[in-house]
Amino acid sequence: MFTRPDTRFYKAAGLLLIAAAAFVIATLVLGGGPAEAETVEPVAAGTSTATLVIQNVINGLAFGVLLALAAVGLSLIFGTTGLSNFAHGEQVTFGALLTFFLSTNEQVTIPLVPGSFSIGLPLWLAAIIAVIVSGFTGWLQDKMLWGPLRKRRVAVLQQMVVSIGLSLALLNLLQWWMGASRHRLTNASGGRVTFGDFYIGTQTLMSVAIAAIALTGVALFLLKTRLGRATRAISDNPALAAASGIRVDSIIRLVWVMSAALAGLGGILLALFDNGAGFDSGARILLLMFAAVTLGGLGQAFGALVGALVVGVVSEVSTVVIAPDMRYASALAILIIVLLVRPQGILGRKERVG
Amino acid sequence: MDILINALEQMFTPATAAFAIAAIGLNFHFGLTGLLNMGQAGFMLLGMYGYAISVREGLPMWAAILVAMGAAMLFGLLLGWPTLKLRGDYLAIVTIAAAEIVRYVGRSNTLVNVTGGSLGIKGKDYKGPLEDLSPFPDERITVGPFTYHGSASDSWWLRVVAWTLVALFLLLFWRLSNSPWGRVLKGIREDEDAVRSLGKNVYWYKMQALIIGGVIGALGGVIWAHGSAVVADAMGRPTTFWVWTILLLGGAATVMGPVVGSVVFWAALSLIRALAKAFIPESILPSTAIEPFGLMLVGIALILLVVFRPQGILGNKKELAFHA
Repeated sequence: MFTRPDTRFYKAAGLLLIAAAAFVIATLVLGGGPAEAETVEPVAAGTSTATLVIQNVINGLAFGVLLALAAVGLSLIFGTTGLSNFAHGEQVTFGALLTFFLSTNEQVTIPLVPGSFSIGLPLWLAAIIAVIVSGFTGWLQDKMLWGPLRKRRVAVLQQMVVSIGLSLALLNLLQWWMGASRHRLTNASGGRVTFGDFYIGTQTLMSVAIAAIALTGVALFLLKTRLGRATRAISDNPALAAASGIRVDSIIRLVWVMSAALAGLGGILLALFDNGAGFDSGARILLLMFAAVTLGGLGQAFGALVGALVVGVVSEVSTVVIAPDMRYASALAILIIVLLVRPQGILGRKERVG
Repeated sequence: MDILINALEQMFTPATAAFAIAAIGLNFHFGLTGLLNMGQAGFMLLGMYGYAISVREGLPMWAAILVAMGAAMLFGLLLGWPTLKLRGDYLAIVTIAAAEIVRYVGRSNTLVNVTGGSLGIKGKDYKGPLEDLSPFPDERITVGPFTYHGSASDSWWLRVVAWTLVALFLLLFWRLSNSPWGRVLKGIREDEDAVRSLGKNVYWYKMQALIIGGVIGALGGVIWAHGSAVVADAMGRPTTFWVWTILLLGGAATVMGPVVGSVVFWAALSLIRALAKAFIPESILPSTAIEPFGLMLVGIALILLVVFRPQGILGNKKELAFHA
């Protein structure tokens, strides 16, 4: 399943570019619509629709890269175990909130432990610790929950409902821990880099750079290392992989660790991009991650990247036409439309469906 | 003692009945047919909007009910069309996404004149017709330890209507699940290909199940709306997950499962909250944490149920509906 990008990839990417171009043009044509009438965003006088669209494409690509980082773990887990993990959103939140917990100078608490304190580590150190702890939660989950379920041969759909229960439990645990308010990881407003009429925030630029490096790392891992090859082998055919002497269970555990750590990192970067994180910020983007993964083709690690870029651009650019509070709806609508015409996803292979 | 009476009260609220109805709908999807509908809250929300907006715009009550049912029917057709031919998890992802779309659109400021945006539609705009039908006096009535208003909002009248509806849908489920039609659905749940080889149109049967369950869910939403208000964010993903917990708790594919599940679920939640408030000191569990604490236990209960007792309280392990 995690085959090297081949001609299919370029074909699909080409198709995608055409579709994206058509979408952007359509938005340009329709652009005079509701958005202007309601001035949903403080648009400087004289800003043309074209400028607005391109600015939104830039924001969308940035969001897409970060979303891809958060979603790639979802795709890896689906690829190796067949599980649609609904608790992945909480992993994303956990990374962000743990970073806040470790780095803030405000008073923080831990559930069931009386008293409050503050740790106040520098942000970079807090983020590194948070990613490591996130990875550990992945290991723990697989050790305590998913591994035993696999051993008992619990059906995948049953496991999916378990993950829903886990998501419900973790979401409320996170709310208990951090309350219902949003927390900012840093108060520095950062600057912005402008080029011509367009801009991108410095913080966003750095987040995107870190995400791109991490994604490249994942790609190299999957394509170049022995463990990565073993991971791909398991995605293709677990029984054959086991018969060829690959230790399926340990590889899956590794995938859980990677997936949770990447989700944590994605959550931290998204919190920087989004100016904060709340107990439900991961749950909010869970469906966008699913959309990204499904769009790219369930279980295709590289598909998640393509899908996430589509979701990011669509949701941001659509704000030109529709109100910003419906932007996620448009991304989910794209998911449903793609499933109609190409159920296997953009990069998926046909035989995997139905 | 108050704690027990409170829990008893929770067992028969309109909300409990509404969730039982939604779970009966889900029982058609999952219990009978094995469909993983993760968007039951979307059906409920559509029903609420359909009814409330129709009444507000001056339609008679029966027409409003038809609008609510029609909205859910269209929604089911739209969802089932691309996904019922695909693997189960596609349906799950598409239904949950579609339910979220309904919620996003409903709470959006763009449609504030139609749906009321994130504040929703106020009760006085749509509760009138049902309350006017009430035979009970227009005052607070006390029976035993319970006191409710006779006919307004969260009333005795609403309780009577809600539980009558529950009984009707139970009857419907019981009859349909034992009919030839219901046996085909169970056959699809157990082995789709076998049923297809008997010449049945599996796709169309699944579609019928999806629509019937969805319409019932929408009516559950209408009941829920009469007990509180039409607010989009009350019908988010957690609501769908609660309905699932209720169904799995009571026992999927059983007739009484949804009702038992709903009654036990809401009573237990109320008990947990009350006990936590009474016995765990404020320094360990602050009052703001009681709500998430209770709901966290719901999640854990769902995990334990699915792993250790997937057939629920009443179910039969052989009639287990998790088929990949």
